[in-house]
Amino acid sequence: MFDRVAALGICLAAVTPAFAAPGSHAEKPAARPSLSLENAKQELESGDEARTLAALDQIELSEERKAAALVDALLNRGANIKILLRALGVDGALGQESSSAAIAPYTRHRMPEVRRAAAQSLARTKGALAVQALRQALRSSDAGTRGAAADGLGALGAKDAVPELFAVLPKETPEAAGAIGTLCGGDDCKKFVALLGKLPFDVMQSGFEPLLVRSGPEVSDALKIQLIEALRKLATAKANELLSNTLAAYPANGSPQVKQAIDRALHGHSVSGDDQ
Amino acid sequence: MKHCSVLYFLGVVLLGACGASNSNSGTGFATTWQNDNGQSIAAVERKLRPLPLVPNARLAVGVTDTGLVATTLDGKSHWTHGTKSASLPIIAGNLVIVSEGDQIVALDAASGNKVWSVGNRGLGLRGAGNDGTSTALILANPQKSLFLAVSASGAALGSVETRTPLGAPAARGGIAFVPWSNQYVSALDMRNGDELGRLLMREQVSRALDVGGVLYFGERGLTRFDEKACYGATNQTNHIALPKLDLPGKPSWIDSGMQNTSSDADARTKIRIYAAPAQTPNENLTLGAGTFAATYFHVLFGLDAKTGALAWVRALPADVVGGAAASSGFVVCDSAGQVRLLDSAGDDANTLDLGSKLRVCVVDAGAEPIPPAAGRGSIATQISAALDQLEPDMAEAERYLVGELGKQTEPLVTKTLIDLSSSPRISPELRSETRRLLALRTNGTEYMLAALERHYDFVSGVLLPPPVGPLADALAASNETRAAPLLAKHLNDPANSADDVAHAARALVKLATKAEFEDLRTFFALYRATADEDALVAAVVASADALIRVGGDAGREIVDRAAHDPLTQADVRRALPDILLAKAQSAAAVPTAVPTGPKAPAENGSKKVAR
Repeated sequence: MFDRVAALGICLAAVTPAFAAPGSHAEKPAARPSLSLENAKQELESGDEARTLAALDQIELSEERKAAALVDALLNRGANIKILLRALGVDGALGQESSSAAIAPYTRHRMPEVRRAAAQSLARTKGALAVQALRQALRSSDAGTRGAAADGLGALGAKDAVPELFAVLPKETPEAAGAIGTLCGGDDCKKFVALLGKLPFDVMQSGFEPLLVRSGPEVSDALKIQLIEALRKLATAKANELLSNTLAAYPANGSPQVKQAIDRALHGHSVSGDDQ
Repeated sequence: MKHCSVLYFLGVVLLGACGASNSNSGTGFATTWQNDNGQSIAAVERKLRPLPLVPNARLAVGVTDTGLVATTLDGKSHWTHGTKSASLPIIAGNLVIVSEGDQIVALDAASGNKVWSVGNRGLGLRGAGNDGTSTALILANPQKSLFLAVSASGAALGSVETRTPLGAPAARGGIAFVPWSNQYVSALDMRNGDELGRLLMREQVSRALDVGGVLYFGERGLTRFDEKACYGATNQTNHIALPKLDLPGKPSWIDSGMQNTSSDADARTKIRIYAAPAQTPNENLTLGAGTFAATYFHVLFGLDAKTGALAWVRALPADVVGGAAASSGFVVCDSAGQVRLLDSAGDDANTLDLGSKLRVCVVDAGAEPIPPAAGRGSIATQISAALDQLEPDMAEAERYLVGELGKQTEPLVTKTLIDLSSSPRISPELRSETRRLLALRTNGTEYMLAALERHYDFVSGVLLPPPVGPLADALAASNETRAAPLLAKHLNDPANSADDVAHAARALVKLATKAEFEDLRTFFALYRATADEDALVAAVVASADALIRVGGDAGREIVDRAAHDPLTQADVRRALPDILLAKAQSAAAVPTAVPTGPKAPAENGSKKVAR
């Protein structure tokens, strides 16, 4: 076995022009180690845990997107837990949408850590299949899987999943708040803001910052200012910290009125217009 | 011996006539009595036979926190009687007898008015019987018992005091019948307490009962007082007993008549059997119209008089705290004060409201049958409805009903078993039983398929998956190929138990088609190297079998590769070559043969699926 590991290592270490990315220039970042796809395939099919893991390491380092198909094939064949978790991570790092089909079934694996890893990878490989699998993962009994799925759905802009995100939000899935704050529009945003005070602040807070910094017509300035006023009235350290962080991260192209409202709220002034 | 001796009767009559007086001290309960082979009691029976039957009043009397509340069963009369009653009321003839303080009080059954009272002589009320005119009382404490006859106006008639414990009496034609010593029933002249005859029984007897005017003696069973009663010593009487029963709470039928009555209610008050002897057209004895009833708190079971099989069931809104069987049908009171008149199928004929919450209740249904009422559907429907109304603390009733449900053949039973198996409110033991029964079902397929459409879903609140394993077994046994895609989806649902998944995989060995190839392949890939329990190993091995059967070369290649992959879980890897070999041999022998499934690994510990 050692011989074969060594062979892969030697192959990867001896970067030859044939494997180097075409057109690379000296001013670019340090060259990634190139990869022999044929050798990597052999190692992934070796049936040896150490060699398989080593090959996955090298694939990740190489950032060679073509190797995603090899990792997908490994997932399609199945492997032990250690290898599966690593393969899911590598596929996520390579970020190929084509990998979503190989990753998706693992969101239904019986082991929760595999489900979570699969959900996290799908957020990076993206695509309709990833969204579909993550929406299904939101229905899992495992809070960790639901959380990863919620994060993923937020990252993938899956607006159709907002009703399900609302359903899981009060049930040990605070990650859904972040996704809702990112994805909601119109009445859903009002519904979300209205939950402040009804659900614990810790559950809700991850959704407020993304909501306040969003641009575009889906979330009105009036609603944002309403939220800012509600946060001001809470007068808690956590609410103030949230407003401070939001102000610090407020985008340059964001609404000046909203930014001003955050600033006023942080200085203890009402922003509802009642005392103006 | 067609009839016991007539000559003896003449002697007894003469003796009785000679001794007749207003004396209050009779000769009953002599311990020197010699077995007369039923002659004396036969004489008494012949004397009474021509007399008209005098049934007790048809009445329900409830004990409340403030006294008694009663209604006649025709609903025409309703009365209350304020008292700190010390005893359970007894309906005797047209009287209600109750102990109040140091008095024994007789109330008119129709009006509740006081008719008479007598001092209790420091004794408790044990029983009372009435022949339409006079009342026989048994008063007792642990040291002594007193038989006391009381006239319609409340005058003391004959009496006998004895250290022998006496049982609850009945009366007919001026004669009181008093059980004692667990084997005798003495017939006492109520005028003077003299013993006119004695019945020797070989079955335990502590209570005499008036059922529609006919007298019965017994405790575990009942012997009718008729022309055959004189054969009590040889067990040749007209006798009725309950069939062998295994009912929730082990309810009792006839309380020992050797205990004083009490109005204190306990769990046993609510776990009772109500059965009334009745005569069939061919003069045999039966119970009611072939049924009797048992209660377990608020559940009422109707049972076949001969077999004890469940005939009907219903759950009432409140616990049953008293009742009686009629010649056909039943009358029960519940703790909310409702008096329900039920026909022999347990259907509502009428309901009367006592207007108060009850601690306990006594009923005499008299001789009249309860008229038939509108039905409540099949027994399976009734069991399902009753199960829906049971709380978690009614596990014993649930267990009994589930067992009875399993005996029914209606398709609806399948649905009920599915619902119970998926219900979070039943105990794990009961769920095991419902699953076992479900796996044996041969009908209700549509309910099974509908159940398999369901999956665990945190979002919509479906927090228990369907009973996939039993459904897989049942559907495989009936070769239901429509189940294949549904079972294949359940293979890859982590909410199902590994055992259920194993059963699904085994069913797919038989049921899967090419359409299930992808689900089978996915399952095999996910677990061929990660199976961490025996049931999952068995499932993976079964899925390999199915893969080869429906996947042809592609399936064989997947399995063959796994068989040679060191990463494949050891137990799985050991089993795969056998499957590959068996499939190869099967294909070579009969190319079109239907696969017979995998050889289950010896160590997998899973249940076998009917193939």
